[in-house]
Amino acid sequence: MTMTPGLRKFALTAHVASSVGWLGAVVVFLTLAVVGLTSGDEDTVRGAYLVMEPAAWFVLVPLGLASLLTGLIQSLGTTWGLFRHYWILAKLTINVFATIVLLLYMQTLSYLAGVAAERPFSSDDLGVLRSPSPLIHAGAALLLLLVATTLSVYKPRGLTPYGERRRQVRRALSQD
Amino acid sequence: MADTPRIQDNGDDAPHEAPQAGRTTSTPRWVKVFGIIALAVVLLFTVLLLTGRGSGHGPSRHAPSGGANGGAASSLGAPAESHTKP
Repeated sequence: MTMTPGLRKFALTAHVASSVGWLGAVVVFLTLAVVGLTSGDEDTVRGAYLVMEPAAWFVLVPLGLASLLTGLIQSLGTTWGLFRHYWILAKLTINVFATIVLLLYMQTLSYLAGVAAERPFSSDDLGVLRSPSPLIHAGAALLLLLVATTLSVYKPRGLTPYGERRRQVRRALSQD
Repeated sequence: MADTPRIQDNGDDAPHEAPQAGRTTSTPRWVKVFGIIALAVVLLFTVLLLTGRGSGHGPSRHAPSGGANGGAASSLGAPAESHTKP
């Protein structure tokens, strides 16, 4: 199934917007993680962790899923295909992996938000919140999404064995 | 890289292979590099988990154990809503 040029451009725009939006949201999340880890003000630390959970549920998760969905539409609806080029396969792997880790990590973010909301708030609670975990996860996510963005722009060569077979079949059909 | 067939970028984001592009039997170098890096990361995490140094990693590490603090104890699958002070 191949999309019309207009629909293809629309799907591409949606994919770029959601993917780059996801990247930007991860940068904001990384900033919150740095603030939560380094700020000397208790209220600021608690505020950072309180914001992380809804920000993840309402921004990171929807954008991650939108990026995955629009990427699938974009690849399956064009001649690129999903399994024909290594760079698309690599992007799919990165996207699926990042989305699964994000969904699993929501439990940790819920816990940290719960600790940040504790009343009364003890020094032990502050110690729990001073975790490098969000920073490490956001940093790794940023790295992965930057790799995915770079792959999208450069589109490095390389057909998978499946893509090569498809190309040979297409060539044989065009010669008949 | 200059002597290898490349996908032409004609600006419309559709794949167009160069006319001289032949069969590239070997897996591209960048794919091998990516694969080696991914394998190294997986092995690193496996070693960390097997040696116990990474046992605190994962979404379950913040789940309460029923103790006073319930901080770093592991209790897989515990609901996040239960993280409240008694």
